[in-house]
Amino acid sequence: MAYKPYNSFSIAQTQFDGAAEILGLDEATSDLLRYPMREYAFAIPIRMDDGKNRVFRGFRVQHNDARGPCKGGIRFHPQETQDTVRALSMWMTWKCAVVDLPLGGAKGGVICDPHNLSDREQEQICRGWVRQMARNVGPNTDVPAPDVMTTPQHMLWMLDEFEGITGAKVPGFITGKPVGIGGSLGRTEATGYGVIFTVREALKDMNIRASDTTASVQGFGNVAQHAIRLYEQLGGTTVCVSCWDQKDRTSYAYHKADGIRIDELLSITDRFGGIDKAKAADIGYEVLPGDDWLKQDVDILIPAALENQINEENVNDISARVKIIAEGANGPMTTGADTVLRDRDLVVIPDFLANAGGVTCSYFEQVQSNMNYYWGKDEVLGKLDSKITAAYLSVSEMVRKRKLYMRDAAYIIAVDRVARACRDRGWV
Amino acid sequence: MKPAGFGQQDVPLFDRNFFRSPVPITRIGNGELGGKASGLVLIRDMLASHFDAENFSGIEVYVPKMVVIATDVFDAFMERNGLFETAFSDLADDHMAETFQRAELPTEILGDLRALAEEAHTPLAIRSSSLLEDELFRPFAGVYETKMLPNNPPDVDTRFRKLVEAIKFVYASTYFNSAKSYIRATDRTSADEKMAIIIQEVVGRRHDERFYPDVSGVGRSYNFFPASGSTPKDGVVNLALGLGKTIVDGGASWIYTPTRPRAPMPFNSVRDILKLTQLAFWAVNMGRPPAYNPIAETEYLIQADLAAASYDDTLSAVASTYVANRDRFLPGTTHSGPRVIDFAPLLAYGNIPFNEAIRELLSISEQALKDAVEIEFAMDLSDIAHARFGFLQLRPMLVSEKEVEITDEELATAGVLLASNRAIGNGTLDTIRDIVYVRPETFEARLTPRIAAELETVNRALLEEKRPYLLLGFGRWGSSDPWLGIPVEWGQISGAGVIVESTLPDMNVEPSQGAHFFHNLISFEVPYLCVTHDSTGGAQARKIDWDWLNFQPAVTETSLLRHVRLEQPLLVKVDGRTGRGVIWRAQVAEENPRS
Repeated sequence: MAYKPYNSFSIAQTQFDGAAEILGLDEATSDLLRYPMREYAFAIPIRMDDGKNRVFRGFRVQHNDARGPCKGGIRFHPQETQDTVRALSMWMTWKCAVVDLPLGGAKGGVICDPHNLSDREQEQICRGWVRQMARNVGPNTDVPAPDVMTTPQHMLWMLDEFEGITGAKVPGFITGKPVGIGGSLGRTEATGYGVIFTVREALKDMNIRASDTTASVQGFGNVAQHAIRLYEQLGGTTVCVSCWDQKDRTSYAYHKADGIRIDELLSITDRFGGIDKAKAADIGYEVLPGDDWLKQDVDILIPAALENQINEENVNDISARVKIIAEGANGPMTTGADTVLRDRDLVVIPDFLANAGGVTCSYFEQVQSNMNYYWGKDEVLGKLDSKITAAYLSVSEMVRKRKLYMRDAAYIIAVDRVARACRDRGWV
Repeated sequence: MKPAGFGQQDVPLFDRNFFRSPVPITRIGNGELGGKASGLVLIRDMLASHFDAENFSGIEVYVPKMVVIATDVFDAFMERNGLFETAFSDLADDHMAETFQRAELPTEILGDLRALAEEAHTPLAIRSSSLLEDELFRPFAGVYETKMLPNNPPDVDTRFRKLVEAIKFVYASTYFNSAKSYIRATDRTSADEKMAIIIQEVVGRRHDERFYPDVSGVGRSYNFFPASGSTPKDGVVNLALGLGKTIVDGGASWIYTPTRPRAPMPFNSVRDILKLTQLAFWAVNMGRPPAYNPIAETEYLIQADLAAASYDDTLSAVASTYVANRDRFLPGTTHSGPRVIDFAPLLAYGNIPFNEAIRELLSISEQALKDAVEIEFAMDLSDIAHARFGFLQLRPMLVSEKEVEITDEELATAGVLLASNRAIGNGTLDTIRDIVYVRPETFEARLTPRIAAELETVNRALLEEKRPYLLLGFGRWGSSDPWLGIPVEWGQISGAGVIVESTLPDMNVEPSQGAHFFHNLISFEVPYLCVTHDSTGGAQARKIDWDWLNFQPAVTETSLLRHVRLEQPLLVKVDGRTGRGVIWRAQVAEENPRS
C-alpha cells in the first residue's frame, strides 16, 4: 500500500521516528511499530429507507496488540480515510501505553454522514460493521468504543449484533455503553477530570497552588465542562471559555475577570455545548472573538475543542504568563506551533497523556463488563486519579531526569513500553 | 481558656508518599481541622517543644501517622449530593447511614484516598473531628462515630472501598439522633456543625486474627473521685489491655493515681480482684471478614478474653498472677495461676519510666491548655526496651473553681432528698422541677437496654420543652455493659441537669464512668452524685427518699420509668473540693439559704 506524505499518518510516523531515534530502537522493531499490524477494509451494503441499496466503506486498523487486546473508537465521518484511521490507531497504542493500560491500539470507521441517515439506516451500518468484523474483534482481541459521531446507542446496536452472532452475552465486547446496560459510572466526567489531574500534578511540580491560578479554556463540550468544574473544585478560577455559535457560524470567547460560573453558563448552553451569546452578555460576560481564548493573561490554557487550534499564526499570541498548556482535545496543536513552544518556559501536557482519562475509564468499563460487576463512582474516579497521576509522574520524572520536552518524554515512555512487549514476546 | 487555634496552615498538604515520609500529620482539603485534629496538632508541637525525650529513655512518645480530611471536603460532600434535607430530617440512624453510603465523595480527594489505601498496610482508625468541638471548646466525647478498619485485604480496591465507606459512615454520624440531641443541649444546631475526618494508623501489633495495643490508657490531671490519701489534683489514670474502647465505654479497667502508682485498687478480696478487673479486651478483627455492615461502628472489632491474650503472649507486661499457696499476686506471668490485669510489671517494676512519662505529659498538656486535661494514649510493648507510646488525644476538662459550702446543719434539715460523699461537679442549681427516675421495684439488669430506649423518648420531649431534669437510676450511667448499668449514650440523656447513680443489692458497682460519658458530664457541667442503697455511703450520705418521690404525681409513667414534675424547684449543691453533694426537696429548698 502506498502512503501519501504529509497526511496524519505521516505525522504519526514522524513523531514515532523521533522517539525511536532517542530510544535507539533496532530496525525491525521500528518497522513493526511504524505500521499497523493488521488492517481491515470492507463493504457494508445497506437497504436504505427509500428502498434503494447503498454500499458504505468500513475500516478497522489494529496497530499493535503486544500489551493486550486492542482498544479504539469507531468514527462515522464522510471525510474518513484509511490513513487517518491508521494514524489514530497508532496514537491509541501510545495513549494506552503511556497510562500503562494493558491494551493495544486500534481505530475504526465508516465513511458516512449520520446527519443524513435515519436511525434505522445507522443501525444497519452498525450491525453491518459488526457482521464484517465479528471474527476479528471481541473482548479478548479488540474492543471498540464510540468516537466522532458515534454514540452509546450505536454501541448498543453493535453489542446486540455481536451477541447475536456469538450466541452469548459479552458486554465486554464494546465500551461507551449507557450506564445500566454495561456502561461505567464516571465515564462522562473521565476525560475532563483526567485533564485536570495532570494539571494539578504539573502545578505541584511548579510548587504553585491551584487556588492561585487562572485558566482559559477552548470549547464548552463534555471535556471542557468537566475540566472546568474540577479545576474550580481545586480552587482555580476559569476566566474565559470559548465555543462555537451555530447561528453565527463562528466561535466566541466568554470572559469574566473574577471567574466564570459553570452552572450559570450551563443554564444557557445548548446540548452541543453552544452558549447563548445574548444571555451571556445579559449576565455580565464580555463576549469576545473566538480566538481570544488563547490571548488571555492566564496561567493555564486548555484547548479542549478541535485539532490544529494552536498553530504557527497564533502561537505567539500566547501570554508570557502562561505556564501550562494541557491538551484536552486530540491534536490541538500543529507541529509548527509545537516547535515554537519548545523554546518557551512552559509545560505542554501532550494530548495522549492529558486526555487519557477517557480511554482509562473505557478500560475500567471493559473490566467491569467482563466481570459483569460494576463499581461505584467513588471507586471509578479514585482509580482514574491514581492511574492518570501515576502516568503523569512517570513522564514528569523522565522530563526532569533527561531534560526532555514533555511530549517527547511521553512518547519515549510509551514507545519503549510497547517495544519491550514486542521484544519480550519474541516478535522482534 | 482556649489555646490559639490550629488552622490548616499548620499542617502540610497530603503527599502521596505520606507513609514513607517522616511528617506525622498532613491534610487533604483547605478547610478547618476540627477539635480533635487541632488537639493532635497541639500535641505534635508540644512534644517537639516541651517534651524532653532524653529524660524518658526506653519510651518513644509520638503522634501516630494521620491524615486529616478538612471540613471543606465535608461541605462539598453534603452540597454536591444534596444531603442537607435528609440530614436534618428525623430519619433513623441506620437509614441515615445508608443514604450517606449511596452518596459520592468529592472527586478531588479520591486519588489521595486511593494512594493512602495503596500505601497503608496497617489498621486504620477513621475518627471524627468536629468543628463545634473546636468552636465551643467542648470535647464532644463519643458523640460521633469512629470506625476501625483492619485494612488488610490483599487488593487495593477493597481497602479503598472500605476506607470510603468508613468516611461516609463518620459523616453520617454527624446527623445521628443522639448527636442531634447532644448539639441541641449546647444551644447550637446540627446546621452549625461541620465534620473533619482523621485517618490514623492504629497503635499495636498483630497477633494472628487480632490487632491491638498492649496498653491503652486515659489520664486525667484532675480526679473527681480521689482515693484516700490523694487530692483531686494528683490526677488519675485508667489502663486497659487492648483498644481504648474498654475505657471510654466505661468497662473494667485498672485505675491508679500517678503520684502513687503502686497503690492497689481498693478491692475487698482476692475474689473481687479476679472478678472485677479487666476480663475481656477489644481488638481489631484481622481474621475472617465479618458480615458486610458498613453502617455499624463495631463492624471490624472483636472482643476476646484473657485466654486469648495469654495465647498472644501479651499478658507478661501487663498482668500479675495469683499464687494461691502464698495468697499473693506476683507481677508477671512466670508463675502458674489466675491472671489479673493490674499493670504491675509496668507500674511496680519500673523497667521503663512509664508513669513518669504520663505525669510529664499531663503536666505539659495542662500548661498548653491552661486547664485540667484528659489524654488518651496506646502503647506497643513488643520491644520492652523501646516501648512506643502513641499519643492519641488531648482534651480540656472544665473544672469549676467556685466555692460552694455544704454545712452539717444544712445536711441535718428534714428536706434532704439524697446526699452523697462522691459527687462530681461544683456549684448550686435551683431551677430543676422535673425528675425522671428508674423505678427500683421493677428494675432488673436485663432490662437496662429497654430503660435506655425509654429514656431517649422522655429526654427528647424535655429537651424540646427546654426543661432540664434530675435523672436518677441504678448502676453506671453510660456503661457499655448493660449488666453494670444503663447503657445510654450521652445524647439519650443530654437534657439532664443533674444525674444520680445509685446502687441496688443486685447492681452494686464502683462508680467509674467511661471517659466519653465522664467528659460530657464535666463539659456540660452536669452534677453527678453517687449514692448507695445501704449505709456504706458514709456518715454524711443520705439514702434516696423513695417514698416522697413515689408520692409525687407522674407526668408520664411506664413499668420501668417515672417522670414527675414539682411545684417548686429542687435545690442542688455540690462542693467540688470535698466531693460532697446534696439535693433538697422542693418545699424544704425554699427554707434553705441559697448560695
